[in-house]
Amino acid sequence: MKLAILSGILAPVFFSFVLALLPKGRKELFFPIAAFGSTIPVATSLYLLIFGIFDGTYKNVFELPWIKLYGINWVVGYDGISLAMIFLTTILVPLSILSSSAILRRTKGFLISVLILEAAVIGVFTSADLLTFFLFFEAILVPMYFIIGIWGGKNRKYATIKFIIYTVFGSIFMFAATVLVGLLVLQQFGRLAFDFETVSNLVLSLDQQKILFLLFTFAFAVKVPIFPFHTWLPDAHVEAPTAGSILLAGVLLKLGAYGIIRISVPFFTDAFVEYRGYMATLGVIGIIYGAVVAIPQKDIKKLVAYSSVSHMGFIILGIASGTLIGMQGAVLQMLNHGITTGALFMLVGFLYDRKHTRDMTEFGGIKTVMPLYAAAFLVVSFASIGLPGLNGFVGEFMILIGSYSAYGIHSALAASGVVLAAIYMLWAYQKIFTGELKFESNESLVDLNLREKISIAPLILLMITIGIYPYLVEKFIQVDVLNLAKVVELTLGGLS
Amino acid sequence: MISEALGINYVVIAPSLCLLIIGIIFIISDLSLKLKPLYQGLVLTFGLLITGVTIIFKIVEYGRLGVSSHFSSMILLDEFALFSDVLLYIVAICTFPIIWTSSSVLGEKRTEAIVLVLMSLSGFMLMTSSDHYMMLFIGLEIGSISLYALAGLNRKDSFSNEAALKYFIFGSFASAILVYGIALMYTSLSATGFYETSRTIAYIGEQNVPLTAIIGLALFTFGMLFKVSAAPFHAWAPDVYQGAPTAYVGYMSAVVKGASFVILARLSIIVFPLLSLNRSIIFAIISISSVVIGSFFAATQTDLKRLIAYSGIAQAGLIFSGIASGGHAVTASLFYLGTYIFQLVGLFIVISITSDGFSSTIELDMLKGRLKKNPFLGVCFSIFLLGLAGMPLTSGFIAKFLLFTNLWAAGLYVWVIVFLLASVLGFYFYLKPIWTLSIDEAESDVILLVSRTNSIILSVLALLTILLGIAPSSLLNIADWVVSSYL
Repeated sequence: MKLAILSGILAPVFFSFVLALLPKGRKELFFPIAAFGSTIPVATSLYLLIFGIFDGTYKNVFELPWIKLYGINWVVGYDGISLAMIFLTTILVPLSILSSSAILRRTKGFLISVLILEAAVIGVFTSADLLTFFLFFEAILVPMYFIIGIWGGKNRKYATIKFIIYTVFGSIFMFAATVLVGLLVLQQFGRLAFDFETVSNLVLSLDQQKILFLLFTFAFAVKVPIFPFHTWLPDAHVEAPTAGSILLAGVLLKLGAYGIIRISVPFFTDAFVEYRGYMATLGVIGIIYGAVVAIPQKDIKKLVAYSSVSHMGFIILGIASGTLIGMQGAVLQMLNHGITTGALFMLVGFLYDRKHTRDMTEFGGIKTVMPLYAAAFLVVSFASIGLPGLNGFVGEFMILIGSYSAYGIHSALAASGVVLAAIYMLWAYQKIFTGELKFESNESLVDLNLREKISIAPLILLMITIGIYPYLVEKFIQVDVLNLAKVVELTLGGLS
Repeated sequence: MISEALGINYVVIAPSLCLLIIGIIFIISDLSLKLKPLYQGLVLTFGLLITGVTIIFKIVEYGRLGVSSHFSSMILLDEFALFSDVLLYIVAICTFPIIWTSSSVLGEKRTEAIVLVLMSLSGFMLMTSSDHYMMLFIGLEIGSISLYALAGLNRKDSFSNEAALKYFIFGSFASAILVYGIALMYTSLSATGFYETSRTIAYIGEQNVPLTAIIGLALFTFGMLFKVSAAPFHAWAPDVYQGAPTAYVGYMSAVVKGASFVILARLSIIVFPLLSLNRSIIFAIISISSVVIGSFFAATQTDLKRLIAYSGIAQAGLIFSGIASGGHAVTASLFYLGTYIFQLVGLFIVISITSDGFSSTIELDMLKGRLKKNPFLGVCFSIFLLGLAGMPLTSGFIAKFLLFTNLWAAGLYVWVIVFLLASVLGFYFYLKPIWTLSIDEAESDVILLVSRTNSIILSVLALLTILLGIAPSSLLNIADWVVSSYL
C-alpha cells in the first residue's frame, strides 16, 4: 500500500527527471516516456481499488517525519472519496498527454510540467495532514503557470497572472488557517501537529470554527470556483492548451470541492451547518449564472468553461445540502464532471488542432465531413446535459433529490440549470455540426484519427458505464459519505 | 603565560586573519611577481581552501572551549559567530567564480576587486566574532569600506559611481549613528560588549536602566538595520544594487545581510529580553513598513536589480520580524536567513551570466526570452525566484511557514496578516521576471555560456532550495542549535 501510493507520487517526478536529462535530439522518446511515467499512477489507483479497504474511516498508510524539530509529519492516507479523485486524475493525465501530441513547441518542458502536476495532484489527494495538503495544493500552481504561460493562447499573460493571483490570494487564507489550526493543536495537545486525526479531535468553540471554516472555504471557493470568485476560470481555460484545459477542468477544480468535503465540512461542522445556506445559494447562483452566460458564447472553449461554473454549482449545492444522497451525488458529480468536461475540452482541442479557431460561427454542418467526431461530441454533450443513461444524470439527479429536502426552492431553481444546459449544449452542437456544410474550406477537415479515438474512447466508455451502473462508483464512496452525512446530521440535531 | 592571561587564541580569529593574509599575498604577488591569472587563481583557490580549514579548526576549538571570550574580551567564540562564519564562507565560495570571471574586464585592476572582496569578507567575519563593540565597529568598517569601493569599481559607468558615492555617504552616516549608540551605551552603562551590557542591565535591574542606554541600544540597532536595508533605512539599496557591477551585487548583499542579521539575532537573544524590547512598537513599525514598502515598490520596478533590491527590503523586514519577536522566532529567522541567502546568491549568479556581469542597469525588457535557449539556467532562475516568493516545496515556503507560525504563536497577529497579504504581491513581482526571461519571445539570439564551476554551484544551490523545502530539518537543526542554548 505504501509502495503503491509512493509510486503514484514519485513515478511522475522520476520520469520528469528522466525527460529533463534526455538530449534534445531524441524527440521521438519524449511522448512514450511521459506516457509511461503517467500510466504508473494508474497502477496505483487500480491497486487501491482492488486491495483498499473502504469501511468509512480514513486509512493512514504511513507517516514520515518531516520537520523533526516541530514534530511535524507527512501523513499519507486514503479513503473512498480520495480514491475516486485519484482514479480520475490517473485516468485523465495519460489521456491528456495522448491527446495533445500536437504540441511541437518545447515538448519536453510541457511533458515535464504535466508529470509534475500529476504528482502534486496525487499528493493532495493522498495527504492526511493539513500542511502537506496545503503544500501540494500550492505546488500545483507552478506547473500550471508554465502550462498556460508557455503553451497558451494569445492573451495568456493576462490569464496566467490572473489565475495565479486569484489562487494565491485564496491560498494565503488557507495558509493562515493551517497555521491557526496547528497552534490550536499546540494549545490543546501540547505538540504541533497538522494530521487530520489530531485536527478532528480538536475542541473548537463556534467562533473559532466559523473563522477557520471561512478561511479554508474561501481558498477552496476560489479554486472550485464558487460564483463571485469564478472570473479567472474562463480566461484560464480559453488561454490554456488542450491538455491544460482538460486537467484544469477535470482535476484542479475538484481540488476545491475535495477540500470542502475533506476539511471544511468534517472539521468545522458547526460552522458548516451555520453557513451552508449561503453555500447553497451561491451554488444555485453559479448554476444559473454559468448556464445563462454560456448560452451566447461564440467561443466553444468559453462555453465549456462557463458550463463548468454551472456544473460546479451543482456540486456545491450537493455538499451544502448536508444530506446523504446530496453529498453522494456531489462526490459522484465531481468524478462525472471531470470525465465529461475533460472529454469536452479534448474534443474542442481536436477541432482546434485542425482549424486553429474555436469560433463556432466558423463551422457549421461539419457532421458530413467528421461523422465520428460529431457522434462523440453528441454523446459527451448529452452526458454534460445529464441525459438519463449517461453519467451526468445520476449525479445531478441525486443532488437535486438530496437538496430538495433541505433547500426546496434552491433545488427547484437548480433544476432549471439542466434545461439551460440542454439549451447551450445542443445549440452549440447545432451550430457546429448540423445542416449544410457552411464553409467550403471545412471540407478538408478529417475525421478522428487513431490516436484521437484512443484518447476519447475510455472517457466515453466511463460515461456510459457510470450512467448505467453507478453503483460501481457508489460502492467506494458510500460509506465515507454516509459517515460524513451522519456527522452533519448529528450537528443539525444538536442545533435544533 | 602572558598570552594566556590576555586570552590570545589565534584560532578564533584564524578565518579573518587567513583572508587578510591571502589578500596581502595577492597584492604582493601581483605588484612584484606579476603572476599570470592562472596562478593567481590557484593562489586564491588555495587560500580559500585554507580559510575553510581554519573555520573547521574554529568549530573544533568551540567544541573544546564552548562559548568563550578571547583577546581580553575582544573576540567572542559562540554559536552565532560560527553560524555566520560558515554562512559567509559559503557565500564567498559560491560567488568567487563569477566575480573572478566577470572582473577580467578590469584587466590589471582585477587584483583590486579580488582584494576588496577578501578584505570585506575578513571584516565581516571579524565583526560577527567580536565581543567588544569597538572590535565590531572595526570589523564593520573594514567590511563596509571595501564594499563601497566594490560598488564603484566600474569607473566608466556613472551609475556605478553614483552607487559608490551614495553607499559611502549613507553608510558612513549609519556608521556614525552606530558609533554614537556605542558611545551612549558606554557612558550610561560602562559596558562595551554584548555580554557586559547584558550583565550590567541584569545587575542594575531593568527599571534602573537610564534612557540614554536604551537610546544607545536603539541607535546601535538602527546602524545594523541600515546595513540590512530595512525600511526606513533602505533608501540606498535600490540605487546601489542597480549601479554596482552585477557580479558583485549578490556577494555584497548576501555578506552584509548575513553578518548584520547574525549580530541582530545575538542582540535579540542576549540583550533585548532584559529590557523587554522584543515586540516593541518601533520594531513593529520597522518590520511591517519594510515589508510593505519593499513589496509595493518591487511590484512597480522595470529594472531587474532594482526589483530584487526592493524585494530584499521586504525580505529584510520578514527576517527582522522574527528577530524582533525574540525567542524561538529567532530560530525561524536564522533558517529564513540561510535559505534567503542561498536563493539570493544563486539568483545573482544567474543574472550575472544572463546579462553582462559588469553592467549596471538591467532593464527587464532587454532580457526578453534570454533564458529560453538555456533550460538549465531557466530552471535555476525559476527555482530561486519561486523560493524567494515562498512557493511550497521550496525552502522559501518552509521559512515563511516557520516564521509566521512563530509570530502568530507570539501573538503578533497584525504582523502575520500584513506579511501574508504582502506575499501575494510577492508572487506577482517574483513571477514577472520568470515570465520575461523564459516565456516571452526573444528579440535577439544571445548564446549564454555557463562555465562548469558555475553550473555546479548553481545546481547545488537550486537543489538546496528544493531539498530544504522538502526536508528542512538539517538547516533548521543548525539554526535551533545556535539559538536554543540561550533560551
